[in-house]
Amino acid sequence: MTAKFLAALTVFVAASLLPAGAKDDPASPPRVVLKPIKFVEYDLPNGLHVILHQNHAAPVVATYVLYHVGSKDERPDRTGFAHFFEHLMFEGTANIPRGQIDKYVSGAGGNLNASTSFDQTDYFFNLPANQLQLALWIESERMMHAQIDETGVETQRKVVKEEKRRSYDNRPYGSLFEELAKLVFKGTPYAWVPIGSAQYIDQATIAEFRDFWKTYYLPNNATLAIAGDFDLETTKKLVAEYFGPIPRGPEVVRPVFELPPQTAPAKHDVLKDNTPLPATLHAWRAPKETDPDAYPLELLGSILSSGRSSRLYKRLVEKEQAAMQVEAFPFLLEKAGMLGVEAVGHQGVTLDQLDALITDEVERVKAEGVTEEEYRKALNQQEAKFASSFGTMTTRAKNLARYHLFYGDANLINTELDRYLSVKREDLQRVAKKYLTKEGVNILRFPVPAAPAAPAAK
Amino acid sequence: MKRLFSRLSASLPRVSRSLRNPPIPNEMPSTKSTKGHEKLNLFSCPFVPFVDPKKTPMKKLLLTLLTTFAVSAFGEIDRTKKPEPAPAPAASFPDYKTEILPNGLKVFIIEDDRKPTVTFRLVIRSGSIFDGAKPGTADFVADLLNRGTAKRDAATFALETDSIGVAIESDAGPDSISVSAAGLTKYTGKILDLFSDAIFHAAFPAEQFAKLQRQTLSALEEEKQQPAKLVAKLTGKVLYGEHPYGAYLTPAAVQALTRDDLVAFHRAHFIANNATLAIVGDVKAAEILAEVQRVFGVWEKGSLPEIKKVLLPPKLQGVTIHLLDRPGSVQSSIVIAQPGPARANPDTPELNVLNATIGGGFSGRLFQNLREKHGWTYGAYSAFGMQKYGGVFQASAETRNEVTAPAIVETLKEIARLSDEPVPEPEIALQRQYNVGNYLLSLESSARTAQRVQDIDLYGLPADFYKTYARRMSETTPAQVQALAKKHLSTTDLAIIVVGEAKDVQPALEKIGKVIVYDQDLQPVAK
Repeated sequence: MTAKFLAALTVFVAASLLPAGAKDDPASPPRVVLKPIKFVEYDLPNGLHVILHQNHAAPVVATYVLYHVGSKDERPDRTGFAHFFEHLMFEGTANIPRGQIDKYVSGAGGNLNASTSFDQTDYFFNLPANQLQLALWIESERMMHAQIDETGVETQRKVVKEEKRRSYDNRPYGSLFEELAKLVFKGTPYAWVPIGSAQYIDQATIAEFRDFWKTYYLPNNATLAIAGDFDLETTKKLVAEYFGPIPRGPEVVRPVFELPPQTAPAKHDVLKDNTPLPATLHAWRAPKETDPDAYPLELLGSILSSGRSSRLYKRLVEKEQAAMQVEAFPFLLEKAGMLGVEAVGHQGVTLDQLDALITDEVERVKAEGVTEEEYRKALNQQEAKFASSFGTMTTRAKNLARYHLFYGDANLINTELDRYLSVKREDLQRVAKKYLTKEGVNILRFPVPAAPAAPAAK
Repeated sequence: MKRLFSRLSASLPRVSRSLRNPPIPNEMPSTKSTKGHEKLNLFSCPFVPFVDPKKTPMKKLLLTLLTTFAVSAFGEIDRTKKPEPAPAPAASFPDYKTEILPNGLKVFIIEDDRKPTVTFRLVIRSGSIFDGAKPGTADFVADLLNRGTAKRDAATFALETDSIGVAIESDAGPDSISVSAAGLTKYTGKILDLFSDAIFHAAFPAEQFAKLQRQTLSALEEEKQQPAKLVAKLTGKVLYGEHPYGAYLTPAAVQALTRDDLVAFHRAHFIANNATLAIVGDVKAAEILAEVQRVFGVWEKGSLPEIKKVLLPPKLQGVTIHLLDRPGSVQSSIVIAQPGPARANPDTPELNVLNATIGGGFSGRLFQNLREKHGWTYGAYSAFGMQKYGGVFQASAETRNEVTAPAIVETLKEIARLSDEPVPEPEIALQRQYNVGNYLLSLESSARTAQRVQDIDLYGLPADFYKTYARRMSETTPAQVQALAKKHLSTTDLAIIVVGEAKDVQPALEKIGKVIVYDQDLQPVAK
């Protein structure tokens, strides 16, 4: 142990306990130095955007194909279509027999998955480095000539219904986000959730599925990111050979809409027999993810609920002991967003109590802003979070693609932290006042059903 | 999507092709499926996500050469055929440094400079198996470690950790308690200070203990409506009986706990010679070791705790269906379970191939049969959950009410088929490669490597376990798989656990075997 180290330690302790108002502490350690994630990116003539991040640390490779299509691109009478289609993309292609994609990838020692959200559908493979070509083959096959037939559609209809039962219908609070989107994003294509409604999938015809593929599964509507242990020039050549022959399609027409500021509060109680504890959620409309206000909003969320020293935790969980848990969550999308605060109450706590406590804390941050200590803490939490992201090849491929598609700058994987760190303390109060308005609140509540008079005999 | 609430995560606005990645085949120690109580901490950051891939000299040059060669050999691609891969890279277990301090603490260091972060993970070789007459003790000890110490009250501890963006979390399992801290390397000294303070000087403040009791009671109330929780608890109860591996928390147990129980457990088990410490991150081994010696060198050693009597789980006889009635269920949560081998059994690599064949991922027989052929479920998987003194094999799926019984029948058929016939060569080749390749992929994560190194110590595995692991999986034969299936997978003595709507599913289940009905408090219902 050196005296110098001890001194530094003492300073750390002192710094973290500085009273509000202490500023520009010279003892604050300098901001973290991130290891740059290097990459090359280019477009194929057919419009496919390619991002390659070479890294020889381990003999693995991750591929990630991001299609710019999600549930917001669906017709209101065909909700769930994008996600259902994602299932169909594992059926087969002109050169891959039905059901073989799983087996090829497993047999290559890899794993795969895909997901669908409001704005995007993504497909990823993780493989030993010697199997990169397999991934390129499968991904280019399904972009070029996916095969969609009645057998696959029928099976996946059933599977998706089980998915919906499992993840939404058969668990407490399972309809929460569906109800929330309906309230907050009313009148926009964000008002329904990616899982959609099962009956629409039943109504859709094979022709519609093929049409959906032709409209959205185009090289000019996709980003391919590859991260891992590969040779750069060889990979560029392979990408060109596999994906180059896929014809460019017509420009994708996207829904045009705006989410205007809300003018009157809304409230909805969700009555379910299986609600075990009272839960409430307050949500406000917020800007899209690329808006400069996204950064102060994220930091505000962390001041409200990140960690046991956060405002909502200290008030609702520690002091009042009204809630078992509480969380603020910014949920920002391509075209609009929301900031939500949810709390699950202890047995016997009323929803009105929970609502009053949340309202009180929200009004307090609007009226008083945040302290210097809270502001520093939020920046430090963000710094630690950002610096610890993007470790694996799969997170690198995924985030390079997302930053490119939605922000137009893949290099944000290296620099987005600057945007958080340049937020000013007063911005937090400003966005709180701007977005967390009294007339713009949506309150969604899950009351516990009254106990039955007598338990039914079985 | 950046942050999401965890408890309500059911309604996440993102839907995936399947519930999860295919589980990476391995030796995952035990499923917490026998535990009833879920951690209440919403912000818990488990050990794994924070840490990361390590630079290891893994045949890098060789591989680059091979890749280049393979491609030039193709020249023009032929998209009508699956491309032939170059030879697979070797799955060599990364290097790490081991040091045993004079007080008995075993330290492992893995250098990984990919991110400017460091993670400390302490494993205490005692878990809920030492709860004795007070179930929940180990859980409560773990949950309260970061809620106040002799030096810092709960609020101060929270503020100091939050202020540098570090999470100090602890988790109790049946055989061990882990405590981890992850943060930026520029705060290494401060992280070590907070981390060691929690480990040495946790104070278990009375008011925090009371709050945790209340939170736990609420969590238990909530779990009565969570099918996944209910099925896990009932499986533990049915399989293990009174054995601590099957124990789950009840409101009565929570109320019976006292602060003194926690203090006594902490004093007896948190001693240097009952622990290992792994350090992963952008550190220099010599430097971090000096720091660790300074901070942990003062930790006292003591006499190692002993289990008075190792109970073995009772043997199952016959096929019994345990049906937990959850009115309103639109799906049945099904688990088919039987006792399995303990973690230090001699066959783990070959058992991985066996498990992958039946239900290890998207190419497993259960997934292919129940989902891809019949459309009865979103996913169907199996797993060996291996503990120190015993284990379970279980196959699971969630199906709509009307196909509950047929799904069980098909699962039983698939289990029987493994004993009855050898796995065809192409299928076993696929499953071997699936295991070996995914093991190779998992080596990208230094956190996983650290956990494996600590597992070798905790479970008493051979020192070269992971050196021979990939090779043994790659050499597993159909005859070995069949023999292991005969040894471990009974089709006559097992338990079928179902959580669902009894009035809809019970009649069909009666045709499969004897049915015992339970209520949501896991008590048998009198007819």
